[in-house]
Amino acid sequence: MYRRLLFIGSALLLVVILFAWQQSSRAPKPISLTPTLSGQPEYCLTCHADLPEISKSHPLQTFGCVSCHGGERLALNADLAHSNMRGGANPSDLSVVEMSCGGTSCHSGSEAENRDHIQRVMTSVQSTYAGAIANIRFTFGAQPDLNAYFGINAIKDEQTHTGITALSAFEPATETNSMIQKFGENCLTCHINAAPREEEAYARQTGCAACHATEQHKLTTAIPYTQCNACHNRGNYDLRSMTFVERADQPATRIQDYYQPIAQFTRCEYTLDCVDCHTRNEVMGDGDIHANQKDIQYVQCQTCHGTINQLPQTKTITGPNDIALKMEFLNPVSNLKVGDTILVTEKGEPLWNTRVLPNGTYELIGKATNLRFNFRPVMGTACEQKPDQQGSQYCHTCHAVER
Amino acid sequence: MRPSFFHHLHPPTIPAAQSRWRYTLGAGGTAIFLALILTITGALEMFYYIPTPDQAAISIQTITYFVPFGALLRNLHFWAAQLFIIVSAVHLVRVVFTGAYIPPRRFNYLLGLALFVISILLNFTGYILRWDQGIQWALVVGTNLIKTIPFIGDSLYQALIGGTQPGSATLIRFYAWHIFGLMLPAAFLVGWHAFRVRREGGIALPPPTLRTDSERITRNELVRREILAMLFTGSALLVLSIFTPAPIAPPIIEMSPLSGEVRAPWFFLWVQQMLKWGDPFFWGVLIPVIILIILILIPYIFPRPAESELGRWFPKSSGLAQVTLAIIAVAIIVLTLLALIPIK
Amino acid sequence: MPELSRRDFLKLTTNTLLTASGLLGFGALFRFLGYQTEPLPQTEFDLGPASNYPIDSRTLLSKIPALLLHTDEGFSALSLVCTHLGCTVEPKESGFTCPCHGSKYDAEGSVLNGPAQKKLNALRVEVTTDGNLILHTD
Repeated sequence: MYRRLLFIGSALLLVVILFAWQQSSRAPKPISLTPTLSGQPEYCLTCHADLPEISKSHPLQTFGCVSCHGGERLALNADLAHSNMRGGANPSDLSVVEMSCGGTSCHSGSEAENRDHIQRVMTSVQSTYAGAIANIRFTFGAQPDLNAYFGINAIKDEQTHTGITALSAFEPATETNSMIQKFGENCLTCHINAAPREEEAYARQTGCAACHATEQHKLTTAIPYTQCNACHNRGNYDLRSMTFVERADQPATRIQDYYQPIAQFTRCEYTLDCVDCHTRNEVMGDGDIHANQKDIQYVQCQTCHGTINQLPQTKTITGPNDIALKMEFLNPVSNLKVGDTILVTEKGEPLWNTRVLPNGTYELIGKATNLRFNFRPVMGTACEQKPDQQGSQYCHTCHAVER
Repeated sequence: MRPSFFHHLHPPTIPAAQSRWRYTLGAGGTAIFLALILTITGALEMFYYIPTPDQAAISIQTITYFVPFGALLRNLHFWAAQLFIIVSAVHLVRVVFTGAYIPPRRFNYLLGLALFVISILLNFTGYILRWDQGIQWALVVGTNLIKTIPFIGDSLYQALIGGTQPGSATLIRFYAWHIFGLMLPAAFLVGWHAFRVRREGGIALPPPTLRTDSERITRNELVRREILAMLFTGSALLVLSIFTPAPIAPPIIEMSPLSGEVRAPWFFLWVQQMLKWGDPFFWGVLIPVIILIILILIPYIFPRPAESELGRWFPKSSGLAQVTLAIIAVAIIVLTLLALIPIK
Repeated sequence: MPELSRRDFLKLTTNTLLTASGLLGFGALFRFLGYQTEPLPQTEFDLGPASNYPIDSRTLLSKIPALLLHTDEGFSALSLVCTHLGCTVEPKESGFTCPCHGSKYDAEGSVLNGPAQKKLNALRVEVTTDGNLILHTD
């Protein structure tokens, strides 16, 4: 009997070992990548070879995956490989952005070299939501003025130009007024690090990717207006009920799909993309803590069109290190060269997608659309605007379109 | 033919009752086979494993994910180690429940207990060698327990840990203990333990005059049974290793706050459960040591089974010893299960 | 007292000598093993400018691990090392819980229920003249 059992046992062992061989041959072949930045091999591509390169500025061969995403570079088991990942699938979430995207040679460098993106975003109203919080607290009597005392997170600014040196973290639970508590519960999804509302129209990521990731695993500076719309055009907060009221209408045309239905618009406001006019500092912050969106948003019609007495400000690019050339390099739509003259804002920010043409008119190239627009200055036209009325609302009086 | 150790362990014929599965459960023999597998797989792991804090977990990932059959090898080592503890425990229970520990086998019973303690230490040091996030708190707790021993605790801690907190010195020390300081005595004790089994007349049976069963089996038959046991154990171990990976976790980056609940390795869960009750020295050191002393004293303090009652389960005359061990075993199992209930 | 024979005396002396050698040998081994190759762990942590920690803030310093508190009475810190067997406790809404053996502490670090006996260690926080915070863990 033992002889037969021995035969069965031997056969069983062979079957099991053959099975082990078969399992081993079926295992996926590891795909190695040794990015030049880290010099350490990583095997993420074994499973993720189908992802597009994140952007031209972050080549795979240089950055690899782990220097931004974290994770276990050697693990071929999904659970282990994905443990320790920064911010889950989104390393640009503001809670981890300093580790993923920061560092002095990346996006957390000096202000002078324009490498302080993270610091600027952290202090910007997009992250702090300071204006809304201050307004609501003032309205319901929790603070005596409209100054900003609270942000979504506590934040400091040592070299303040606005007089606001720090914001404390807004904690709705400690508020005594029930309306402010309700505001805290329902209305804090409106900053870039909040998880967006569920519906598809609000789909965006958090942190840098909230604006810069227009599609899966792609970062871009060519940001279409639709990306901004995920937050800025989906409805309103009702201050009486402290709830969010979604847009009920279904916009069919571009002009309908633009801000609240009551607002007035001129042609460029529904033809161009938001980023074609609104600058880096307006959108990402200028490094100072501001009490209100209005304090930082300054581009008006006159920035590009000038006034009846004055042409818009311009600047000629003199050297290859000009910031305008660097910005154009990231999104090369206008073939900008040394010697070109471009428009600049009142604060000196380059509108690098514009150009002064030899005939005295101007050209703007859509950052996301690549379309060319030719436009004239106000000076020398029949415009009857008064010199002290330079806000865009005065331009709308004549130039707004019917909706 | 020159006598050899093999022939010492495999005489020309032995009583058939000594190799009945239902009497011995094959536990001792299986343990020796597992020890052999552990030695071979462990030696092979040493070709890739690097015992430094930076490299330990990384080198284990390399074995697991890139070395051909590395995952299988590591799983074999892991599962053989866990089965070794279980099989040894079964062996211990069998020896007590059949009264086989009485003289002349009393000393071999103590050797076996020493082996059991060493195998638990081997398992714990091997577990620590992973040096990943899965082990860091068991290491902190286990080593801090040493500190609670009065008078010698602090110096013992330093001698074992090599510093005031676990670090690279600790890892290299645990490595040295695992592959040398514990393995060497274990190998020696296994040989001695087996040697004495034969020296004391093979597996415990009543003296020849009192035996009812005179059937004997030949050396060849014994070897066949052993090989059969190895084939089935080996196959089962392979199947287990192919389908159930050994635990692995991300490398330790820093002692970051924990999330969720922390569990000791399974064979120390019962100690962890007792530690929830209070004084670490009492529950974590004293009680386990007292249990060990009770086990050591079983052949000395309890009524012995009559020689005629050997060779079968539950001899009536040594009932007290059986009850004592049963209480200890049930208590340990219940405590282990309790430890799995989450902390509220 | 029975007379000690010459043979017994020699035997006793030999055993004593061997025991003494053995003990000294063990002592040497113990001292050999007790040497510390690594520097003592850091006990002073520079936390940067005090102004980084606004009033009423609770800052988790996970590397130490400790919790820095800034109240009206100034800065204080609690060690997050469980006093039972050294695991790092997890901050919960109203206190701390140890994930290893379930000790619970209140927000001030006092034991709510065991197995821990002692409250969480209060750590010394020093504010330097130039406004930096130094945390002492010893």
